[in-house]
Amino acid sequence: MEFAQSTAWDGIAVGEHLFAFSPMIALTVTMLAIVACPLLIGRGARTIGSVTVLGVFFALILCFRVGGVVADGGLSGLSTSPAEGILLVDNLSIGFQILLLVFLAGVILLWWAGSSETEKNAPEFFILLVGSALGMAMMVSTANLLMMVIAMETASLPSFALVGFDKTSRRGAEASLKYMIFGAVCAAIMLYGVSLIYGLVGSLSVPVIATYTVDQFMGGGNKLLLTVGLLCVFAGIAFKVSAVPFHFWCPDAFEGAKIEVTTWLSVVSKAAALVMLVRVLTFFSAAIPNAFAMSLLDPIVWTVAIVATVTMTLGNFAAYRQESVKRMLAYSSIAHAGYMLSAAAVLLHPSVAGSESPITALLGYVVVYLFMNLGAFGTVALVGWDTGSDRLDAFTGLIRRAPLLAIPMVMCLMSLVGLPVFAGFVAKWWVLVSLGKMGGTVGWVLAVVVVSNTLFSLYYYMRIVVKMTLKDDGQTPLRASPMGVGLVNICAIVLMVLFFAADPFRHMTERYSKNLVTASTLSSADAITVADSSPTATDPTAIERGGN
Amino acid sequence: MISSHILSWIVFLPAIGGLICLVAPKKQIKTIAVLASLATMLLSLTLFSTFLGGADDPTEVFGQSYGKLHHVERATWIELPGELKIEYFLGIDGLGFPLFVLTTVVSFLACLASWNFETWKVNKGIRAYFILFLLLETGMLGVFVSLDFFLFYIFWEVMLLPMYFLIGVWGGARKEYAAIKFFLFTLGGSVLMLVALVAMYFYSGAAIDQAGGSVASGYLSGSGTALTHGTFDLIELATNPTIQSYFSAVSTTFLGIKFAPIMFIFLFVGFAIKLPCVPVHTWLPDAHVEAPTPISMILAGVLLKMGGYGFLRLCYPIFPSGGQYWAFTLAMIGLVSILYGGFCALAQSDFKKLVAYSSVSHMGYVLLGIAVMTTAGFQGAMFQMIAHGISSPMCFFLVGVIYDRAHHREINRFGGLWLTMPKYGTLATIGFFASLGLPGLCGFIGEVWVVLGTFQAGSNPEMPWAYAMAVIAAAAVILTAGYILWLIRRVYLGTEREEYKGFSDTSSREMFILVPLAVLCIAMGIFPMQTVFNFTNGTLDLMLTMMNNGIVSVAM
Repeated sequence: MEFAQSTAWDGIAVGEHLFAFSPMIALTVTMLAIVACPLLIGRGARTIGSVTVLGVFFALILCFRVGGVVADGGLSGLSTSPAEGILLVDNLSIGFQILLLVFLAGVILLWWAGSSETEKNAPEFFILLVGSALGMAMMVSTANLLMMVIAMETASLPSFALVGFDKTSRRGAEASLKYMIFGAVCAAIMLYGVSLIYGLVGSLSVPVIATYTVDQFMGGGNKLLLTVGLLCVFAGIAFKVSAVPFHFWCPDAFEGAKIEVTTWLSVVSKAAALVMLVRVLTFFSAAIPNAFAMSLLDPIVWTVAIVATVTMTLGNFAAYRQESVKRMLAYSSIAHAGYMLSAAAVLLHPSVAGSESPITALLGYVVVYLFMNLGAFGTVALVGWDTGSDRLDAFTGLIRRAPLLAIPMVMCLMSLVGLPVFAGFVAKWWVLVSLGKMGGTVGWVLAVVVVSNTLFSLYYYMRIVVKMTLKDDGQTPLRASPMGVGLVNICAIVLMVLFFAADPFRHMTERYSKNLVTASTLSSADAITVADSSPTATDPTAIERGGN
Repeated sequence: MISSHILSWIVFLPAIGGLICLVAPKKQIKTIAVLASLATMLLSLTLFSTFLGGADDPTEVFGQSYGKLHHVERATWIELPGELKIEYFLGIDGLGFPLFVLTTVVSFLACLASWNFETWKVNKGIRAYFILFLLLETGMLGVFVSLDFFLFYIFWEVMLLPMYFLIGVWGGARKEYAAIKFFLFTLGGSVLMLVALVAMYFYSGAAIDQAGGSVASGYLSGSGTALTHGTFDLIELATNPTIQSYFSAVSTTFLGIKFAPIMFIFLFVGFAIKLPCVPVHTWLPDAHVEAPTPISMILAGVLLKMGGYGFLRLCYPIFPSGGQYWAFTLAMIGLVSILYGGFCALAQSDFKKLVAYSSVSHMGYVLLGIAVMTTAGFQGAMFQMIAHGISSPMCFFLVGVIYDRAHHREINRFGGLWLTMPKYGTLATIGFFASLGLPGLCGFIGEVWVVLGTFQAGSNPEMPWAYAMAVIAAAAVILTAGYILWLIRRVYLGTEREEYKGFSDTSSREMFILVPLAVLCIAMGIFPMQTVFNFTNGTLDLMLTMMNNGIVSVAM
């Protein structure tokens, strides 16, 4: 099956659109199934878990099927005017959804290994979890500001509840409240920005806004309101990315939440926001007609670059003195958000504008980061469940107490530092290559900042390694579920495999970061006629696909 | 199969041994590790046949210009078509060869020195120890033969973690401090190298774009060797005239600074930390004192050589103008290292720390010899590296031998050991005299060559300071003689002490380690041409010729 070039909502087969968004629909159905399950089968934690896993796998299969047909371009739909880009499907959104679902499966496995026996409120937990996943899936599948706000809220609201899910935990409640207040304020700021922009531009579609912005900046129009509006939108995204200065919620929420929730939020909620940011920036860079316009937009590059620099440096330095490993890894996740942001900073630059390399670098980073964090948080979880503590001291002598946990943990931590022979190095390498390709002051300074941060981060990751391998106060062996140990070990092995298979890995991420929905895909929609049910390559009515 | 991929086999044989250790029964691990390192050494010795003709017909072995490699293996590892290509590129020439063989020899002897693992203070985890040891050997060997910068960097970093654990787990009282210090210093040096790695790739690409998008290779001939984009090939970066002239052009800047000098420094910092030279040497005494004996042997014998190798492989051939620009600073750092290391050694009361500081001093000669960029300087630096690679593991093992018996390293508490342990005393004298630089032993040739090379550089109008440095460096030999002779007097001479009377003389295992090293010390001192120079000079001379032809002075 192949998509007809059907970007308009009316006049084409609804079934195709439904198929294109079927992974999201599958997630919604999973949520409904979780609601129905207690009524029909029972509230057993493992029953609900199985239903969720089934739903996730089903969604994953659908993702691959949809991925097979969107390979050459994007599709925008579910809107009266496709140019609005309310919901769209392209390689990037599908690639990210695959990641999201794989990670969701990993998090459920982790939950299965530790919490499935004691969990009383499994249906609620999984509805929230899958709900936030749905929100994140939507975040990466839109080029419309309103939809971005809605998607972010869909992702955020369940996350607030998830953080405070353990009702008996005071810290969880505190963390949840902090997270929610911060999130609400940032959402309000973003909405305010959106309303300003809509008032100025008369459209919520990002490509239109991008063109308008570039025109205004070149023609000397009303820049102040526009800038304020854009900054407000970026602030909303920065909150999700946990970029400085919108990072304050991150350590508290991560420390207070259940470990599965921390794991979940540490990777995908940031990654989704980053992908969203990348999409916005890509539309902006596509709207830049010449180097002169680029120089006018330089402040945006500088802003992102400075935010990236401060984020990674602050994250790394704040992690130094933490005694809670969970909190330390929370700061580390801020630092990694900074590394990923530095790839985003490159997107607008003329030398790479239009080139996919920063997006590929970023997507690759997310993939690698997913496995490193799943492995590291998985170990923290298993240690925490057995010792009841997430303090650094709980890791003392882990190499003797549970060698099969300590060794993969060392590997994951070294990958987080970015040392070969682990994939963390490859991830950083492609970011550096993007920065080098951009060159100039911003590129090279950022490159130096990134590598220096690698050095800064070594020390606190090594604190965990030192505790695990060099200290020994004769503590008892650790009891860890084989499933959890298996999960952590798989993560560590994947990290090594991705290093040695850096070439196929790169090409895989390239496949999912090329031929994205572009402004022309969206705007040319009016001219597109709907192809008949069996379009062929030579069929004149089958219009060229979006992207390049 | 082995002969066509011999370098790969040698590099990865220890890692394969490590894998076997992973599953082998605990009692067999030591044997497997020793056999693996022995096989690696024997295999590496077969490489001699390639370089034997070097004395009679240098061009046969070393080619007409820098870039003649042997046993080349090239395969594409990571490729973005038309954009970027990272290769698995191994090859060996007169620069890598002696250090490569040195590594296998020292590793084998260090592995033997680990044979008494069970008697160590920290004797848990024998499996992990030997696996890490063998992984470390693979990392070290890889550095000396990988000629793709990316691959070089990977091997360079691969060494860090095993070394960290080898010091941190099996070390002495302050092992954690020493291990993390080693890790932070070394990684600190290599992060800037990573920026240089990316920058050199993109700048070489820019050079090729400027020249029209396709440039003939500097050292390879034949179809399909033309460059169309940037490269990580270390030989190409050094030999390609287009890239070279772009790199050294005054208009080529990096963050507003001239490209060659700043890249030279980015690379230099990493290598200088490894060498190590003052003021970034402070990790070395700590690491040496805390590391177990075999690891000290590896550290001194091989790891320090990577600094010097890095200068000779990366800094100088690729950025000769950078070397020219920084010549005085680097020579000064070398000279300060010689003197500072010597004075520190003089002040030590810990046996191992003394040997460690003597390493700083000896490595200062390497830097001085390289910095002046003369034939004798380069040759002397190279010889000094090999000689130190033989004599310092021997010294560290000698310290280890007595530490195993006395369980302390206080120089002032020893005395008259020659009487108690005559065989040990004799071998110790050879080892320490070799380190001292006594004529007829290996340490002499390198130092003299470096001093001569420095003096030679004085005739260069740009290096008038070299005369003074040569004189000071030559005078510093007195310092070396001072701390070594004083050491021998305090430890080995004098009256026999009651507390050491019962000590057994060196065992046959210890003899087996010490005697080959002693023989090498003497052989290299008497036959410097046949043991080292014939294998290295061809490449070094060609490199210097190339550099001297290509140098464009840069003013900052």
